[in-house]
Amino acid sequence: MSTETGSPVPSFVVFHVGRRRVALSREYVAELIASPILYSFPHTTPLITGVVLRRGRIVPVLDLGPGLLGEPSPSARFFLVVERRISSNSERCAIPVQGECELVSGITLAPTSQEEFVTGCLDLNEEQIDVLDLEKAIAAGAKSQEEAIPAAEALS
Amino acid sequence: MTQPVSSSLMPRDTRRREQVAVFSIAQYSFAISAASVQEIRSTDSLGGTVVELDRPALRKVRHIVERDSRAYYVVSGYEHFHLPSSRPTTVLILRGAPVAVLVDRIEEMAEMKVVLELPKSFRGDERTWYRGLTVLDRKVLPVANHLGFLTAVELQQLEEQNPGLLQTAAASRREREPA
Repeated sequence: MSTETGSPVPSFVVFHVGRRRVALSREYVAELIASPILYSFPHTTPLITGVVLRRGRIVPVLDLGPGLLGEPSPSARFFLVVERRISSNSERCAIPVQGECELVSGITLAPTSQEEFVTGCLDLNEEQIDVLDLEKAIAAGAKSQEEAIPAAEALS
Repeated sequence: MTQPVSSSLMPRDTRRREQVAVFSIAQYSFAISAASVQEIRSTDSLGGTVVELDRPALRKVRHIVERDSRAYYVVSGYEHFHLPSSRPTTVLILRGAPVAVLVDRIEEMAEMKVVLELPKSFRGDERTWYRGLTVLDRKVLPVANHLGFLTAVELQQLEEQNPGLLQTAAASRREREPA
Protein backbone atom coordinates (compact mmCIF):
# COMPACT_ATOMS: atom_id res chain seq x y z
CA MET A 1 0.00 0.00 0.00
CA SER A 2 1.49 3.34 -0.92
CA THR A 3 0.41 6.93 -0.64
CA GLU A 4 1.62 10.39 -1.41
CA THR A 5 3.03 12.17 1.58
CA GLY A 6 2.86 15.86 2.25
CA SER A 7 -0.61 16.16 0.75
CA PRO A 8 -2.69 18.88 2.46
CA VAL A 9 -5.76 16.65 2.19
CA PRO A 10 -5.70 13.89 4.84
CA SER A 11 -5.61 10.30 3.68
CA PHE A 12 -7.66 7.41 4.99
CA VAL A 13 -7.79 3.69 4.51
CA VAL A 14 -11.34 2.50 3.95
CA PHE A 15 -12.12 -1.11 4.80
CA HIS A 16 -14.92 -3.48 5.75
CA VAL A 17 -15.43 -5.00 9.19
CA GLY A 18 -18.20 -7.47 8.44
CA ARG A 19 -20.82 -5.56 6.48
CA ARG A 20 -19.79 -2.18 7.87
CA ARG A 21 -17.50 0.09 5.85
CA VAL A 22 -15.31 2.32 7.96
CA ALA A 23 -12.20 4.48 7.60
CA LEU A 24 -9.02 4.91 9.59
CA SER A 25 -6.50 7.69 9.26
CA ARG A 26 -3.66 6.60 6.97
CA GLU A 27 -1.09 7.44 9.65
CA TYR A 28 -2.22 4.46 11.74
CA VAL A 29 -1.98 1.92 8.91
CA ALA A 30 1.26 0.06 8.25
CA GLU A 31 0.31 -2.60 5.71
CA LEU A 32 -2.26 -5.08 4.47
CA ILE A 33 -1.36 -8.74 4.75
CA ALA A 34 -3.08 -11.73 3.18
CA SER A 35 -3.74 -15.14 4.70
CA PRO A 36 -1.27 -15.12 7.57
CA ILE A 37 -1.23 -18.14 9.87
CA LEU A 38 -3.15 -17.28 13.01
CA TYR A 39 -1.76 -18.76 16.22
CA SER A 40 -4.02 -18.85 19.23
CA PHE A 41 -3.39 -19.68 22.87
CA PRO A 42 -5.33 -19.19 26.11
CA HIS A 43 -5.67 -15.63 27.37
CA THR A 44 -8.32 -13.39 28.92
CA THR A 45 -7.97 -10.15 26.93
CA PRO A 46 -11.17 -9.26 25.06
CA LEU A 47 -11.08 -8.93 21.24
CA ILE A 48 -7.76 -10.70 20.72
CA THR A 49 -8.26 -13.77 18.54
CA GLY A 50 -4.60 -14.78 18.31
CA VAL A 51 -1.30 -13.58 16.97
CA VAL A 52 0.45 -13.61 13.62
CA LEU A 53 4.15 -13.70 12.98
CA ARG A 54 5.29 -10.85 10.76
CA ARG A 55 8.97 -10.31 9.93
CA GLY A 56 10.06 -11.91 13.18
CA ARG A 57 7.63 -9.85 15.24
CA ILE A 58 4.59 -11.07 17.10
CA VAL A 59 1.52 -9.11 16.05
CA PRO A 60 -1.70 -9.55 18.06
CA VAL A 61 -4.93 -9.86 16.06
CA LEU A 62 -7.77 -7.67 17.33
CA ASP A 63 -11.31 -8.13 16.08
CA LEU A 64 -13.18 -4.82 15.86
CA GLY A 65 -16.45 -6.70 15.21
CA PRO A 66 -17.83 -6.64 18.79
CA GLY A 67 -17.47 -2.84 18.95
CA LEU A 68 -18.57 -2.03 15.41
CA LEU A 69 -21.11 -4.76 14.70
CA GLY A 70 -22.08 -6.00 18.14
CA GLU A 71 -20.76 -9.46 17.22
CA PRO A 72 -17.47 -11.04 16.12
CA SER A 73 -16.63 -10.26 12.52
CA PRO A 74 -16.71 -13.10 9.97
CA SER A 75 -13.51 -15.00 9.19
CA ALA A 76 -11.11 -12.95 7.12
CA ARG A 77 -8.41 -13.49 4.54
CA PHE A 78 -6.91 -10.05 4.87
CA PHE A 79 -5.52 -8.31 7.93
CA LEU A 80 -4.85 -4.62 8.19
CA VAL A 81 -1.74 -3.99 10.28
CA VAL A 82 -2.17 -0.81 12.30
CA GLU A 83 -0.15 1.06 14.85
CA ARG A 84 -1.72 1.27 18.29
CA ARG A 85 -0.72 3.83 20.86
CA ILE A 86 -0.69 2.13 24.24
CA SER A 87 0.28 4.58 26.98
CA SER A 88 3.48 6.14 25.69
CA ASN A 89 4.36 3.15 23.52
CA SER A 90 3.22 2.09 20.11
CA GLU A 91 2.49 -1.46 19.05
CA ARG A 92 1.41 -3.03 15.83
CA CYS A 93 -1.72 -5.11 15.75
CA ALA A 94 -3.65 -6.75 12.94
CA ILE A 95 -7.34 -6.17 12.26
CA PRO A 96 -9.23 -8.82 10.27
CA VAL A 97 -10.98 -7.10 7.35
CA GLN A 98 -13.43 -8.35 4.76
CA GLY A 99 -12.92 -7.60 1.10
CA GLU A 100 -10.77 -4.86 -0.32
CA CYS A 101 -9.14 -1.89 1.33
CA GLU A 102 -9.08 1.46 -0.41
CA LEU A 103 -6.80 4.45 0.08
CA VAL A 104 -8.72 7.71 -0.22
CA SER A 105 -8.16 11.39 0.47
CA GLY A 106 -10.83 13.66 1.77
CA ILE A 107 -11.99 16.13 4.35
CA THR A 108 -13.78 14.72 7.36
CA LEU A 109 -17.21 16.07 8.11
CA ALA A 110 -18.98 16.10 11.46
CA PRO A 111 -19.93 12.59 12.56
CA THR A 112 -23.40 11.41 11.73
CA SER A 113 -23.14 8.51 14.17
CA GLN A 114 -23.66 8.82 17.92
CA GLU A 115 -21.04 6.14 18.61
CA GLU A 116 -18.23 7.63 20.66
CA PHE A 117 -15.52 5.93 18.60
CA VAL A 118 -16.65 7.70 15.43
CA THR A 119 -14.68 10.94 15.07
CA GLY A 120 -16.00 12.10 11.74
CA CYS A 121 -17.50 11.16 8.46
CA LEU A 122 -16.14 10.89 4.92
CA ASP A 123 -18.31 11.49 1.91
CA LEU A 124 -17.29 9.03 -0.81
CA ASN A 125 -19.50 9.28 -3.88
CA GLU A 126 -22.42 10.12 -1.61
CA GLU A 127 -21.68 7.17 0.66
CA GLN A 128 -21.10 8.23 4.26
CA ILE A 129 -18.14 6.41 5.79
CA ASP A 130 -17.51 6.63 9.52
CA VAL A 131 -13.95 7.55 10.51
CA LEU A 132 -12.79 5.62 13.56
CA ASP A 133 -10.78 6.51 16.60
CA LEU A 134 -8.94 3.19 16.80
CA GLU A 135 -8.35 3.14 20.55
CA LYS A 136 -11.95 4.10 21.30
CA ALA A 137 -13.23 1.43 18.90
CA ILE A 138 -11.07 -1.17 20.66
CA ALA A 139 -12.24 0.04 24.07
CA ALA A 140 -15.91 -0.11 22.99
CA GLY A 141 -15.48 -3.64 21.69
CA ALA A 142 -13.66 -4.76 24.82
CA LYS A 143 -16.38 -3.27 26.99
CA SER A 144 -19.16 -5.01 25.06
CA GLN A 145 -17.31 -8.33 25.21
CA GLU A 146 -16.57 -7.99 28.93
CA GLU A 147 -20.27 -7.33 29.53
CA ALA A 148 -21.26 -10.29 27.35
CA ILE A 149 -19.13 -12.81 29.28
CA PRO A 150 -20.86 -12.43 32.70
CA ALA A 151 -24.24 -12.46 30.93
CA ALA A 152 -23.35 -15.74 29.19
CA GLU A 153 -22.12 -17.19 32.48
CA ALA A 154 -25.38 -16.20 34.18
CA LEU A 155 -27.39 -17.94 31.47
CA SER A 156 -25.32 -21.13 31.48
CA MET B 1 45.56 -31.59 13.27
CA THR B 2 44.21 -28.11 12.60
CA GLN B 3 40.63 -27.14 12.85
CA PRO B 4 38.85 -26.39 9.61
CA VAL B 5 39.27 -22.68 8.91
CA SER B 6 35.72 -22.35 7.82
CA SER B 7 34.41 -23.15 11.31
CA SER B 8 35.89 -19.97 12.80
CA LEU B 9 34.59 -17.88 9.92
CA MET B 10 31.08 -19.20 10.16
CA PRO B 11 28.72 -16.66 11.76
CA ARG B 12 27.76 -18.09 15.12
CA ASP B 13 24.42 -17.64 16.81
CA THR B 14 25.60 -16.50 20.24
CA ARG B 15 22.13 -16.15 21.76
CA ARG B 16 21.61 -18.24 24.86
CA ARG B 17 19.43 -21.22 24.15
CA GLU B 18 17.10 -22.79 26.65
CA GLN B 19 15.84 -26.34 26.90
CA VAL B 20 12.07 -26.49 27.13
CA ALA B 21 9.42 -29.12 27.57
CA VAL B 22 6.48 -28.71 25.21
CA PHE B 23 3.22 -29.86 26.78
CA SER B 24 -0.38 -29.77 25.70
CA ILE B 25 -3.67 -29.07 27.41
CA ALA B 26 -6.84 -29.47 25.35
CA GLN B 27 -5.96 -28.30 21.81
CA TYR B 28 -3.20 -25.93 22.92
CA SER B 29 0.55 -26.39 23.22
CA PHE B 30 2.79 -24.58 25.68
CA ALA B 31 6.51 -24.48 26.39
CA ILE B 32 8.05 -24.44 29.85
CA SER B 33 11.71 -24.11 30.73
CA ALA B 34 13.15 -27.53 31.53
CA ALA B 35 15.13 -25.87 34.33
CA SER B 36 11.91 -25.04 36.15
CA VAL B 37 10.64 -28.63 36.02
CA GLN B 38 11.96 -31.01 38.64
CA GLU B 39 10.16 -34.11 37.52
CA ILE B 40 7.70 -35.29 34.90
CA ARG B 41 5.50 -38.21 35.91
CA SER B 42 2.50 -40.10 34.72
CA THR B 43 -0.59 -39.41 36.82
CA ASP B 44 -0.99 -43.21 37.18
CA SER B 45 2.30 -43.46 39.04
CA LEU B 46 1.35 -40.95 41.76
CA GLY B 47 -1.04 -43.37 43.46
CA GLY B 48 -1.23 -43.06 47.24
CA THR B 49 0.86 -39.92 47.47
CA VAL B 50 -2.09 -37.72 46.53
CA VAL B 51 -4.12 -36.13 49.33
CA GLU B 52 -7.40 -34.32 48.79
CA LEU B 53 -7.67 -30.82 50.26
CA ASP B 54 -10.33 -30.48 52.96
CA ARG B 55 -10.88 -26.85 52.06
CA PRO B 56 -10.12 -26.14 48.43
CA ALA B 57 -9.68 -22.37 48.40
CA LEU B 58 -9.15 -22.33 44.63
CA ARG B 59 -11.12 -24.16 41.98
CA LYS B 60 -7.94 -25.17 40.19
CA VAL B 61 -6.30 -26.75 43.28
CA ARG B 62 -8.05 -29.73 44.88
CA HIS B 63 -5.15 -31.97 45.92
CA ILE B 64 -1.62 -32.00 47.19
CA VAL B 65 0.97 -34.53 46.14
CA GLU B 66 3.98 -35.71 48.15
CA ARG B 67 7.26 -36.36 46.43
CA ASP B 68 10.69 -36.88 47.95
CA SER B 69 9.69 -35.54 51.38
CA ARG B 70 8.12 -32.45 49.90
CA ALA B 71 4.50 -31.59 49.23
CA TYR B 72 3.13 -29.70 46.24
CA TYR B 73 -0.22 -28.18 45.41
CA VAL B 74 -1.66 -29.91 42.34
CA VAL B 75 -2.87 -27.29 39.85
CA SER B 76 -5.29 -28.37 37.14
CA GLY B 77 -3.80 -27.03 33.92
CA TYR B 78 -7.12 -26.68 32.12
CA GLU B 79 -8.72 -24.85 35.06
CA HIS B 80 -5.68 -22.58 35.33
CA PHE B 81 -5.84 -21.59 31.64
CA HIS B 82 -9.66 -21.39 31.66
CA LEU B 83 -9.95 -24.23 29.14
CA PRO B 84 -12.67 -26.83 28.74
CA SER B 85 -12.21 -30.01 30.72
CA SER B 86 -9.41 -32.21 29.42
CA ARG B 87 -7.83 -35.57 30.30
CA PRO B 88 -4.57 -35.00 32.12
CA THR B 89 -2.21 -37.96 31.96
CA THR B 90 0.98 -36.23 33.09
CA VAL B 91 2.06 -34.13 36.02
CA LEU B 92 4.90 -31.60 35.95
CA ILE B 93 6.44 -31.20 39.39
CA LEU B 94 7.98 -27.76 39.39
CA ARG B 95 11.19 -26.49 40.89
CA GLY B 96 11.23 -23.31 42.98
CA ALA B 97 7.50 -23.41 43.71
CA PRO B 98 5.37 -25.89 45.69
CA VAL B 99 3.39 -26.64 42.55
CA ALA B 100 2.64 -29.70 40.43
CA VAL B 101 0.73 -29.05 37.21
CA LEU B 102 -1.61 -31.51 35.54
CA VAL B 103 -1.23 -31.46 31.76
CA ASP B 104 -2.63 -33.69 29.04
CA ARG B 105 0.73 -34.88 27.73
CA ILE B 106 4.31 -33.99 26.95
CA GLU B 107 4.76 -33.45 23.23
CA GLU B 108 8.52 -33.05 23.02
CA MET B 109 11.67 -31.60 24.51
CA ALA B 110 13.07 -28.79 22.40
CA GLU B 111 15.58 -25.96 22.32
CA MET B 112 14.21 -22.45 22.53
CA LYS B 113 16.27 -19.68 20.95
CA VAL B 114 14.32 -16.67 22.06
CA VAL B 115 11.50 -15.53 24.31
CA LEU B 116 9.59 -12.67 22.74
CA GLU B 117 7.80 -10.22 24.97
CA LEU B 118 4.05 -10.67 25.18
CA PRO B 119 2.57 -7.78 23.16
CA LYS B 120 1.22 -4.97 25.34
CA SER B 121 -2.24 -5.44 23.84
CA PHE B 122 -2.49 -8.51 26.07
CA ARG B 123 -3.54 -7.15 29.42
CA GLY B 124 -5.25 -10.03 31.24
CA ASP B 125 -4.17 -12.97 33.38
CA GLU B 126 -1.88 -14.12 30.58
CA ARG B 127 0.64 -11.51 31.72
CA THR B 128 1.07 -13.67 34.85
CA TRP B 129 0.69 -17.00 33.08
CA TYR B 130 3.42 -16.49 30.49
CA ARG B 131 7.02 -15.34 30.39
CA GLY B 132 6.46 -14.48 26.75
CA LEU B 133 6.11 -16.21 23.41
CA THR B 134 8.51 -18.32 21.44
CA VAL B 135 8.70 -19.78 17.97
CA LEU B 136 9.32 -23.52 17.67
CA ASP B 137 9.05 -25.33 14.35
CA ARG B 138 7.53 -22.15 12.87
CA LYS B 139 4.75 -22.20 15.44
CA VAL B 140 4.17 -19.52 18.04
CA LEU B 141 3.87 -20.98 21.54
CA PRO B 142 3.38 -19.31 24.88
CA VAL B 143 6.17 -19.92 27.38
CA ALA B 144 4.61 -20.76 30.73
CA ASN B 145 5.86 -18.88 33.78
CA HIS B 146 6.46 -21.54 36.43
CA LEU B 147 5.76 -18.98 39.17
CA GLY B 148 2.47 -18.02 37.49
CA PHE B 149 0.58 -21.25 38.17
CA LEU B 150 0.07 -20.14 41.77
CA THR B 151 0.75 -16.52 42.56
CA ALA B 152 1.91 -15.38 46.01
CA VAL B 153 -1.66 -14.30 46.77
CA GLU B 154 -3.08 -17.68 45.73
CA LEU B 155 -0.45 -19.53 47.78
CA GLN B 156 -1.38 -17.40 50.76
CA GLN B 157 -5.08 -18.20 50.24
CA LEU B 158 -4.32 -21.93 50.15
CA GLU B 159 -2.13 -21.70 53.23
CA GLU B 160 -4.78 -19.72 55.12
CA GLN B 161 -7.48 -22.26 54.30
CA ASN B 162 -5.22 -25.25 54.99
CA PRO B 163 -2.70 -23.98 57.56
CA GLY B 164 0.48 -26.02 57.78
CA LEU B 165 -0.89 -28.72 55.47
CA LEU B 166 2.06 -28.76 53.08
CA GLN B 167 4.57 -29.03 55.92
CA THR B 168 2.52 -31.68 57.75
CA ALA B 169 2.11 -33.78 54.61
CA ALA B 170 5.83 -33.60 53.87
CA ALA B 171 6.73 -34.46 57.48
CA SER B 172 4.38 -37.45 57.64
CA ARG B 173 5.83 -38.68 54.37
CA ARG B 174 9.34 -38.47 55.84
CA GLU B 175 8.21 -40.47 58.87
CA ARG B 176 6.68 -43.19 56.69
CA GLU B 177 9.81 -43.54 54.60
CA PRO B 178 12.27 -46.22 55.78
CA ALA B 179 15.49 -44.87 57.24
